[in-house]
Parts: sequence; C-alpha cells; structure tokens
Amino acid sequence: MSDHQLADWRQHALTLETEVNKVVVGQANPVRLITTAIFARGHVLLEGDVGVGKTTLLRAFTRAIGGGYQRIEGTIDLMPNDLVYHTYLGEDGKPHVSPGPLLMSGENLSVFFFNEINRARPQVHSLMLRVMAERTLTAFNKEHYFPHMLVFADRNQVEKEETFDIPSAARDRFMMEIPIVVPTDPDIMESLVFNTRFHDVDALVETIAKDVLQFDQLNTFAAKLQDSISASPTLRKYTLDLWRATRSPTDYGIKVSGVDMKRLVLSGASPRGMAMLLRAARVNAWLNDRDAVLPDDIHAVFHETIAHRVVFSPVYEMRRTEIAREMLSGIVNAIAAP
Amino acid sequence: MHPSLIKLLFIFMTALLGMPAAFADVALPSVDEKYVSVQEINPTRDAGYVVGDVLDRTITLNIKKPYELVKESLPIVGYEHRWKGQISGIELVNITTEEHKHSDSVTHVLHLSYQVFTTSRTAKPAALRGEIIKLRDTGNREVVQYRIPSFNFRVSPLSVYGQVVLKDELSPFHPPLLLDSSKEKRYVQILAGLLGLSLLGLLYILGMHAWLPRMGAPFAKAYRDIRKMPDDTAGIQQAVARVHQSLNKTAGSSVFSNNIEHFLQTKPAFIPMKDDLKQFFDLSRRVFFEPQISIDTNEKPKAWLLTFCRHLRDCERGLNPYAGA
Repeated sequence: MSDHQLADWRQHALTLETEVNKVVVGQANPVRLITTAIFARGHVLLEGDVGVGKTTLLRAFTRAIGGGYQRIEGTIDLMPNDLVYHTYLGEDGKPHVSPGPLLMSGENLSVFFFNEINRARPQVHSLMLRVMAERTLTAFNKEHYFPHMLVFADRNQVEKEETFDIPSAARDRFMMEIPIVVPTDPDIMESLVFNTRFHDVDALVETIAKDVLQFDQLNTFAAKLQDSISASPTLRKYTLDLWRATRSPTDYGIKVSGVDMKRLVLSGASPRGMAMLLRAARVNAWLNDRDAVLPDDIHAVFHETIAHRVVFSPVYEMRRTEIAREMLSGIVNAIAAP
Repeated sequence: MHPSLIKLLFIFMTALLGMPAAFADVALPSVDEKYVSVQEINPTRDAGYVVGDVLDRTITLNIKKPYELVKESLPIVGYEHRWKGQISGIELVNITTEEHKHSDSVTHVLHLSYQVFTTSRTAKPAALRGEIIKLRDTGNREVVQYRIPSFNFRVSPLSVYGQVVLKDELSPFHPPLLLDSSKEKRYVQILAGLLGLSLLGLLYILGMHAWLPRMGAPFAKAYRDIRKMPDDTAGIQQAVARVHQSLNKTAGSSVFSNNIEHFLQTKPAFIPMKDDLKQFFDLSRRVFFEPQISIDTNEKPKAWLLTFCRHLRDCERGLNPYAGA
C-alpha cells in the first residue's frame, strides 16, 4: 500500500474521531480505542455504568462508518433464535417469519450492539461466540455472512442477580474491553447536564457527518495496514516478554497488594489475545503517523486488550478490575525494552 | 634557815619537778584492741621527699567507753623526736583535732602535719613516728596507752654529688626512664596499615565497587562502559541499551518515551536533561524499532551518547550539567 493511501485513510480516521468527539464529549481515549478496534477489525466489550453514553458512542460511530446498525438487549429469557428471527401472525392471519437483528441488515451489518450481554443465557453467548469468530450463521438452510460486522457488547457490572458471567472463551473473542467512565472535567460535566444539545440523542447523532469511512472497504484496508506497519526484532522480544509475564508474573517479580501471586493467575493471555494486541498496536502506530510499532503503541492498548483475557483464581474474580489493572501496570513497569 | 632543812627542801623540790618526766616515761599497759579502732589517711607516695617537704596525715580514732582520751597525751608541735639519741629530723609542725561524740564512743580526728628537716647524700629511710597516746578508764581512773601506727617513707637528697648514673640515681627532677617500645610501635604501624587496607576494601565493596561516592551509580558505570564500546552500529545499539538499563535502574521501573514526565517528577535532579532525554528516545526508536530509518553518520551518535551519559552522570551526582552554560 502506498504511503499516500495510508495518509488518506489516516486523515479519514482522524476525521471520524473528531466527528464522534463532537457528540460524545470527555471520552477521547475510548474514542481512540474504538477507532483502533474498527481498523484492527476487533470486537469490543464496553464496561461502564448505566447512562454514561455507550449507546450514543456506538450510534455515532455507526453513522460515521456507514452500514447497518443492530442492537439487542440481553435478558434472562433471551434465546439464540431471538437473534436470528421472530415469528408473528400477519394481517392476513397467517404466520410469518421475519429476520432477527443479526440477519436484518444482511451482509451490510457493520455494528451489532449487544446491550447487557451478561444478562443473556450461555446458549446465547455460544451463538455469539461463533458469529464473532467466524462472522457466519446458518439459518433457514442457508449460510449467512457478516463480513463487515463488529460486535460491541456491554456488560452490567453493578448488578449480579440474574446474570451469567461471560466465559473466558467468549471474553477472548473480544479484542478489547474498554472502560467508559463519567468525565471528571467540571465543564464537561456541566455541559452534559445543562446543555440541551446532549438531551436528544437522535438529534445529536444526526449532527455527525455520514459515511466518513466506507464500511465495506475497511477489511481490505485493515489487512493492508497490518502489512504496512513493521515490528522490529526488539519489539517482538519485548512483546513476548510481556506475554510470558502475563502467564507467570512471579517470574518477573510482579506483585499485587493483598494477593498471593502464586495462586492468582490460572491462565495468562492467549496467542489470539497477543495477536490482537499486536494488531491494535499496529493501528495505534499508524494513527500516530508511524510505520513501525513502538513500545508506546503496545502500552496504549495493552490494558484494554489483555486485562479481560487473563483468567484469575475464582477467589480473586470479585476484584478482577482492580487486580488486573495493578498486575498489568506492574508488568509494563517491570519489563524493559530494549 | 637551817642548812639541813634547806637540803631537805632541795631534795623535795627536785623530786617534785622530776615527777612529770617520770610519769611520761612509765611504760603503761596497752589498751585492749576492742576499745580502740584507727583509720589512717597517709601521704599518697612514700618516696622522693626532700628537706622542707611537709607530709600530712589524718588519724581517726574511735575510743569506746569506758575509755576516754587524755588530751594532754597528744603530740606537741615543735617537739624534737629522737631515736636512739639522734634527732630524727621529722618534726610535727601542726596538729588540729576534731571530736565527735556518740552514745558509746567518741571519735577523735587528728590532722597532723610533719616537716622534713633532714637530708642525706643518698636516699634514706624515715618515718612519721607512731605517736603514743594515753587513755583513761573513766570508772577506775586507770591509764593505758595506745600506739598509732607509724608511716615509713624515703628522704631523697636535694642534689647528687659526683658522677651520676641516672638509672641508679632516681630523682624526682628527672622524667621517668622509658622502655624501648620501637618493636611494639612497628607492630602497631603494620596492623594500622592492614586495618586501613581492610577499611578501604570494605569501602570499595560498600560503594558498589567504586572508589568515590556515586562512582558506582548507574550512569557513572554506564559512562565507563560506553567509552569502551566500538563506534559502529553494534556498538551504538549496545550503548543505547546500556543507557536504557541505567535509566530503568535509576527510576526503579522501565522508562519509556511516554513516561519521561513521570520519571522527571520522581527524579527531579534530571529535569535539566528533559530535552536530551527526548532526543535519546528518538535515537533509541531509530536504533531498535525503526531500523528502516538509517542514522545519519554526521550525527556522530557515539560521541553524543557519551556526552549525554556524562550529563546524566552529573545529574546523578546532584550537579546541573548546563549550570555554566
């Protein structure tokens, strides 16, 4: 790919960020991470409290990249077929079948938002697992393809009743888990409350320029982007050291307060996870106008791509967020490059 | 008056005058030791006195009832003591007494001062005589005696006549003769040398193999190492890696270009190097992560790295490398 093309696409990506940042204020880092995931073609798990703007964020991105946007709410009685079709009696009195959220946009589906995914049953998780990994679905004796689909899921971390933990295999399918937190800047906080512009989400999203990117060209460009950004031997060694440290933190002297490190990690980052880390790091390098990955690029996405993959002993699962953050920070501090 | 009467009167007077002397010379029985106890405070040395010196001694007598001290028996100032008909030359020049009464005894403290009025061509023995005092039984009026212990000392001549061999003629006017201690001094010198070497060795070990303070600090070591590295691509890589190693050691964690600010906050001594650190990370990026960007030979990275590392070493030692600029 020519430098010219890379520069053009980078300009589009930065425009996309600018457009989204106009309507979702105070979330520059999540916006950068979602942009990264879009160009790395990875699914995203969003973590955050209720009403912090997750849906608005995704709708804004969908409008800017084009394609179909579908959404479903996770509930305890949701079944896998609810994602594929639904049946009803038509005006003619006959039963009818119409496509569910997954099939409704056909191959043009670009963003599928699964709200409160941990309220859905494991059968639903299982279906999503396949759709996310293979981007195909068999229904009505036909194979359906979603080549441009990215799944964004949100999990409710506050309430634990009637929820099902997403198994580690399903978590590993997500490229990133991005925390969405309430902005702390007093001006932004005041705007969100008193500026009526932010009260009507539909009107707000309408202000974003349409089709900043071409969703059906993203796969091709992403593949070429990955080929264009190099990783030096030093960077490769550094990445492998980071990987080993996630698997055996005690070998690198990593400590987390109040945690028996020998019992903490049941399983470190997976090979797929590390590959996704490098994909995201390459996109970050490209967004920063570089053609080689630096440790800084790894750091920019390290926590978001690795924290949700590490499997802890059940006794420490309740403190997962806090422990994962401290452990991964310790790893970054302990591993040197070069 | 009748001559015979005069003769008789003369005999009587003579007998009357001779009575005290006869009384004094009578050998009285000694007092039972259980009634008298004595404590002496004698001069601190017993030799080296010359004519004119005064020796003080204090005698504390505790006399239990029924005995009491006959005060008239205390020695008299100026009395010339004789020994075997010869004047001893040690004369009592002062006496003071104190008396402390108790329920069953009386304590008499006698402060006696004797002056030496004798000399000799050679050192000779002398003594503060053992004074004899008398005690009276208050019941039956019986008189007994008690002898205070004597104190022996040596009287030295004021000057020495003839050929003098100092070793044989000790004198208070000469300093004491010293033993030959040259052998011991040599031992002490050798041991002090060994101790000094051991301390230097300990200092070297404690100073992390450095002879001067901070000589073993990370950037000081790195500077010495980099000087020895070759000025080629491999050498530059080694040198950059060596500086990274020292930076990480100084910070206590890995330092990257995205946490320079944090490093400077925790180690403010390196603040003057902020721009240089950015330049270093730029060089490191090209050396390790962007090999397609070749390093311009005009940059002379080895020389720059040496200067950079020396400046970091200065900061490490609390100096500002740009203070004079």
